[in-house]
Amino acid sequence: MIAGLVAILDGHAAELTETISQISRIPGVVPGDINDSARRLPVMIDSPDPDSLEIITRRLQQIPGVAFVDVVFIHFEDESARIPETQSGKPTSL
Amino acid sequence: MSRDSESLSGSLQRREFIKASAMAAATAVAGGTSVALPILADESATGVDWQKAPCRFCGTGCHVQVGVQQGKVVAIAGDRNAEVNKGLLCVKGYHVGAALYGQDRLTKPLLRDGDSYREISWDEAIGTIADRIQAAPDRFAFYGSGQWTIPEGYAAQKFMKGGLSNNHIDPNARLCMASAVTGFLATYGVDEPAGCYDDLDACDVLIMWGNNPAEMHPVLFSRVIDRRSRGEKVTLIDIGTRRTRTTEACQHYLEMKGHGDLAIANGIAHLLIKNGTWSRKFVDSFCSFKAPDDANPNLHGKAISFDEYKVLLEPYTPEHVESLSGVPADQIRMLADLFGNPELKITSLWCMGMNQHTRGTAINTMVHGIHLLSGHFGTPGNAPTSLTGQPSACGTVREVGTLSHTLPGGMVVADAEHRKMAEDIWRVPAGRINETPGHHTVKMWESFCTPTSQGGDISTIWVQVTNPGQTLPNLNKLFNPKGDSKAGLEDKFLIVSDVYPTATTRLADLILPSAMWVEKNGMVGNSERRTQQWFKMVDPPGEARDDCWQTIAVAHELFKRGVDGMKDRDGQFLFEVRGADGAAVPIWEWEHYYDINVDEHLFEEYRKFTRFKHKDLAPYGEYVKARGLRWPVVETNGQWRETQFRFAEGFDPYVAAGKEIQFYHSSTHDDRAQIWFHPWIAPAEVPDKDYPLMLCTGRVLEHWHSGSMTRRIPELSRAMPGAYAELHPDDAAAYGLRNGDRINMESRRGSLMIPVWIDGRGKPPRGTVFVPFFDETLLINDLTLDAVDPFSKQPDYKKAAVRISKVPS
Repeated sequence: MIAGLVAILDGHAAELTETISQISRIPGVVPGDINDSARRLPVMIDSPDPDSLEIITRRLQQIPGVAFVDVVFIHFEDESARIPETQSGKPTSL
Repeated sequence: MSRDSESLSGSLQRREFIKASAMAAATAVAGGTSVALPILADESATGVDWQKAPCRFCGTGCHVQVGVQQGKVVAIAGDRNAEVNKGLLCVKGYHVGAALYGQDRLTKPLLRDGDSYREISWDEAIGTIADRIQAAPDRFAFYGSGQWTIPEGYAAQKFMKGGLSNNHIDPNARLCMASAVTGFLATYGVDEPAGCYDDLDACDVLIMWGNNPAEMHPVLFSRVIDRRSRGEKVTLIDIGTRRTRTTEACQHYLEMKGHGDLAIANGIAHLLIKNGTWSRKFVDSFCSFKAPDDANPNLHGKAISFDEYKVLLEPYTPEHVESLSGVPADQIRMLADLFGNPELKITSLWCMGMNQHTRGTAINTMVHGIHLLSGHFGTPGNAPTSLTGQPSACGTVREVGTLSHTLPGGMVVADAEHRKMAEDIWRVPAGRINETPGHHTVKMWESFCTPTSQGGDISTIWVQVTNPGQTLPNLNKLFNPKGDSKAGLEDKFLIVSDVYPTATTRLADLILPSAMWVEKNGMVGNSERRTQQWFKMVDPPGEARDDCWQTIAVAHELFKRGVDGMKDRDGQFLFEVRGADGAAVPIWEWEHYYDINVDEHLFEEYRKFTRFKHKDLAPYGEYVKARGLRWPVVETNGQWRETQFRFAEGFDPYVAAGKEIQFYHSSTHDDRAQIWFHPWIAPAEVPDKDYPLMLCTGRVLEHWHSGSMTRRIPELSRAMPGAYAELHPDDAAAYGLRNGDRINMESRRGSLMIPVWIDGRGKPPRGTVFVPFFDETLLINDLTLDAVDPFSKQPDYKKAAVRISKVPS
């Protein structure tokens, strides 16, 4: 599953490098070039499955200096067939 | 190179291409450039066809680009041409496409057969519904939602009020934003916000009244956070009953007791007058004053003078407000100082906190009142704006008027002139529309769950696109009565159209499989008056079919049987649609439903209603071209122009030149808005020695509403697998509880065993407990209160007295 995100950074300028460095150390995450004035960092995530993508996104959100994470692009072609049913609510005859 | 390695190489190249596209998309949105995204531009390289649609989930109205390949949705991108989200999506965007593909989609009509169900044909299903309606048309009710598309809601509305002369139609939106409606009506004489999301780009102060947009409307919240990250000064204030993720980003957090908002609003107004910082010019020019008419309670109250208003506010000193609300007096003064500063631009946002409130109408009018009294209204950044939780709570419920007392376009059934206008547009005989409002949601379900012999006057309900078996208040009273009081309900019959099995389908006698989102054409209206359109992109699974088709098919079955209500003045079918050749298209037959664009036909008819209250909509084709347009949309020099700010000269085409501000639907017919006084009143139920804690219910980031879609997304379910009770650590210690311990939570209406979460995501203060309602296996609405606001009839899900005890391990 591949995603493109935008991380909004709100730390001091001096902390920006460290924030981006921490982001780049997350496996599967590739930061792009930051727009200095806007402090919006493009990020690409290549994850083996949707679960990992969710976990990576949460880690991203928890890094000091990251104010918010928005999603821009998601490709889930390979994963959509693997979604299982839930156990609840099914009519009793089925 | 072998075929396998060629294939692998091709696959890797494709993956690299998608990765490059993901980064290009993120870079383009982050930089605000206008370069086309490669993956969206190059269908030949990927085989993916991209089309626009609004997101399926909340009422923000983000636009997405939906990528379809071989009949299946495979990718989603934020739509950079969309003003609402400018290419951004919240993390639910990860799942909006996958929500279509849960493996337990309903695919066949199912009829209850004893304790189980048997598959039946659509013909039998449609015939069964027609039988029930024909046998007792006045005992039939239709229950929908703000997830009905505009054409779906319009068809249901016309079928009931214009066909069956039956006003027992109501939506689940009664449970989430009815008090916002009555608040707007009581203040401005017409529903829906004057401002829009552009206010978030212009405001200096953003006040969230019982609202958690960081989790519930993240794209809107991110818009403000983004401004702050760019160095702009924006003061964020959270007024709430528990700390949330929104609180973390705010400079000020004002923690209040339930109904404290009533006192806070009065405290601000008190200080504005006492300090002389209210806007005399704005008030003298554009406002009048109102107070409740206790002798004759009604939505429009009684007129009072400014001096009477001032006297009524006198008791609400900061110290008195502190005693009522729990918010320190200095923070009340801080709010009043902000509102008293004409240089600041102030936007207020609210959602369920102010609406799910037994004084919901009152607090809505009071927040409008503070903005009016201080003159923080009518310029960009100065607006009181309510948000909605469903994609078309505004477009379908409030504008099409699927409430039990309304007609399309802001008209009401009780008004003879309105009925005549509707009968003329629908071309039905005079007198067809019933003048008596139908049952509102709570009353509708009480009547359905009460034996006919005891006065339960609803015997059949058809539910579409909602899940009342999980979301109605005080569920036990409805569906699990004590003793043998369920006896006598044998003649009741519940029909449920849905996409997945839910807590409601479990109660159903007949289950109909529905198409969802891009499996059908659609139009919706978001929280800022923006009407949006999309086309069907993929087929629904199995025999699932459009809700709108289901309604029309039943209507035609009744027409075939000679039911007069399904005929217009000329004896033609109520939903007759003619093609370009003038011949009627049999849209009641599924195989012909998409021979013509039924949505367009219904929308163009509905559009005639929208001019009455200056909620003008453009022709269907304009919405095909746009990422939504905000009404009123008025044609000027051949161009259809939307309206950002209502009632403001220079923005709203209906404001006369030189007026500056004109409330042209004023209830006092003098172009003035009403500034209301309401007294502080305690919640309908408060903690006592038997039930010492206050329960608040709500939503969580991972799950949308009752979870019927998002609980089918494994990663969301794993992230938030079940409901929990949030407690303050001191309360937990007092009860000897640790994280994960199970408690028995009881109210006067029901009980629930549920795990506790201490110091979790939300942090309730001492004496309170929070439980989300998304989990159908832990029905918190067994415990909630069904007391309603006297005008909006909306229940209060935020305040119920409970007690807890530890369940021995």
